[in-house]
Amino acid sequence: MRKIWLIIKREYLTRVKTKAFVISTLIVPLLGIGTILLIAFLVSHTSPQNLHLVIVDEAGGLALPVKQNLEAALANGQRQFTVTDTIDRPPSPQAVEHDLRGRINAGTLGAYLMIPSDLTQSVELHTKNPGNFTLLEPLTTALNEAVIGARLSARGIHVDDVNEISRGVHLQVIKVSQSGESVEKGQTIAIAITLVVLLYMSLLMYGIITMRSVLEEKTTRTMEVLISSVRPFQLLTGKILGVAGAAFTQFLIWLLTLGLFASYGAVMAAMLNPNSSFPSMRVPVSLLVWVVCFFFGGYFLYSAMFAAVGAACSNEQDAHQLQWLAVTPLVFTMVIYGVVLNDPTSTAAVVLSEIPFFAPVLMPLRISLQMPPAPQIILSLLLLLGAIWATIWASAKIYRIGILMYGKRPTLPELVRWLRYS
Amino acid sequence: MDAISLENVTKSYDGVPAVSQVSLSVRQGAILGLLGPNGAGKTSTIRMVLNILVPDEGSIRVFDRPVTDDTRQSIGYLPEERGLYPRMQVQSVIVFLAALRGMAEAEAERRARLWLDRFELGDWAKKKVQDLSKGMQQKVQFISAVLHQPPLVILDEPFSGLDPVNAATVKDVMLEMRDQGSTVVLSTHRMEQVEKMCDSICLIDKGRNVLAGDLRAIKQSYGKNTLQIEFTGPDSFLNHPAVASVNRLGMGAEAKLKAEADPQQVLRAAVESGAQITRFELLEPSLNDIFIEKTGHA
Repeated sequence: MRKIWLIIKREYLTRVKTKAFVISTLIVPLLGIGTILLIAFLVSHTSPQNLHLVIVDEAGGLALPVKQNLEAALANGQRQFTVTDTIDRPPSPQAVEHDLRGRINAGTLGAYLMIPSDLTQSVELHTKNPGNFTLLEPLTTALNEAVIGARLSARGIHVDDVNEISRGVHLQVIKVSQSGESVEKGQTIAIAITLVVLLYMSLLMYGIITMRSVLEEKTTRTMEVLISSVRPFQLLTGKILGVAGAAFTQFLIWLLTLGLFASYGAVMAAMLNPNSSFPSMRVPVSLLVWVVCFFFGGYFLYSAMFAAVGAACSNEQDAHQLQWLAVTPLVFTMVIYGVVLNDPTSTAAVVLSEIPFFAPVLMPLRISLQMPPAPQIILSLLLLLGAIWATIWASAKIYRIGILMYGKRPTLPELVRWLRYS
Repeated sequence: MDAISLENVTKSYDGVPAVSQVSLSVRQGAILGLLGPNGAGKTSTIRMVLNILVPDEGSIRVFDRPVTDDTRQSIGYLPEERGLYPRMQVQSVIVFLAALRGMAEAEAERRARLWLDRFELGDWAKKKVQDLSKGMQQKVQFISAVLHQPPLVILDEPFSGLDPVNAATVKDVMLEMRDQGSTVVLSTHRMEQVEKMCDSICLIDKGRNVLAGDLRAIKQSYGKNTLQIEFTGPDSFLNHPAVASVNRLGMGAEAKLKAEADPQQVLRAAVESGAQITRFELLEPSLNDIFIEKTGHA
């Protein structure tokens, strides 16, 4: 035990003390939060475009309602359009347009709207900057409302009556769970997908770190001195636990910042922009506990596989070629997680989430979507534990043989043969 | 009690024997030279003694106990494949490896400083391993093999890459350890080192033990069959039927005699041919000659 502890300690300290570790641990959350705050800041402090325009109405009667519609303030109290002038029934449309084009080119006017007398023809927006699509929708709405209103009045119907009659209903999704009900605004999916990506990335990242660490001892030829005093199994265990410690340290710091941000993010966003609709996300504690359980299960499973790959190879290039052995099941998880996302209770989702290679990502995903029955979670954990044991056993065998083998990369049949050596 | 004893040890990889039926014993307090051409099975043998590999057949005992994880705590090992964690500090590496072999860290640290000073590496203790020259790293590795004062030290090519001054220090340490009762196994190709230092040898070729025993006794058993002659003048006498092979040297030649040949006949032939003999000496064969004779190659 003392030897395993010494190896864990060395592995942990050499990893945590590197500049790269400190930088990635601190910079990643700072950068993430910084980016979000920067976007929030920019969104709230860029003065929304206020387009100054003139409305030319060939037939007359529409310019005023359109002006009213356009100048109605937005929800945040700011206006998107200022109608500087309306020209009803111009005696000479060409002369008016010529004059307006001159003002646009001189920069004193943003655009002008040309409403033809025959409304089967297009209404024209003349502007210097036709790329601004965000203006098109409110313009179309304002025009349509004015035109429809005019037609209805012509038939003696009041616009407000029609609005009243044709108003639809709003459908709200409410998530039912053990802890009560909560209004769903897409945060369940957001949390679920964040979780999948986070688990996938960290399993892959720390797996590769473990592989590199094994490989380093081979390429620097430190291995032989080590195994003259510790058993390969001790070395493997110590290494995996040491890297796990470093991973956990980093993870904890990230989770804490994320937690702080999730709790105060809404407050911070509100300070910058009173109208921000930053949803306050509540991540249930039970979900966090399960995520941590499955993360560690997955970490031990995959890092044992990556360690075996590292032990079987003698250099980085070979390891990159052989690492598909460990990467494939992980990537496959990313291919199939949609099945679980669509219907977490389907037979396919239940079966897939019980398979140890997929469980570390898919079971937390199911838990985040809809709490599965306890026996399913426990079975999945037990199967995962069994798979961890089998993988570490097999990896220790490959490790034991591989760490002293230099030269060509072993083939798959050779690896299988290594498993059978005593 | 023998420090190491091997009995009919066999190990093969994928059906190819690396070591077959090797028996060997190393007396406690002796320096044994483990010799053999490349790929002869020396490293496999050492690895089995260290319990890194498990023999297919036969038994290995270290200090009269079967090989276990505990027995290797009493062994210091300098592998031929050398390497240390490049980004660790010199002293930390030494202490880490000593701790893995069961030493308390404080004690390991104290001794590491003494040894680093002895090898003139005192100023480098806090430097990273990768900042050291190859020869310096070699010395650090040697220190970590002997720091825990093991009763048995196995050194695989300990002199490679060392300058004469440091090689002499390593040699002194080995002799010192032997005088203090430790057993040293020296695996090398360099015959002159073995000849100078070893009490006994074991020669392995193609996985088999072809020669083992006390170095002096082995040499004596070959008898004095080597002639060292220094001369000027004609050298036709070197073709005498009693001469088996000739190695020409600057001042003369070294001639190996056939078995049962009479060196006096060669001397007579030399005088008759008119050569001026300045030296004519009968010697025991060098270890190099024995090695070549036994393995058929150098």
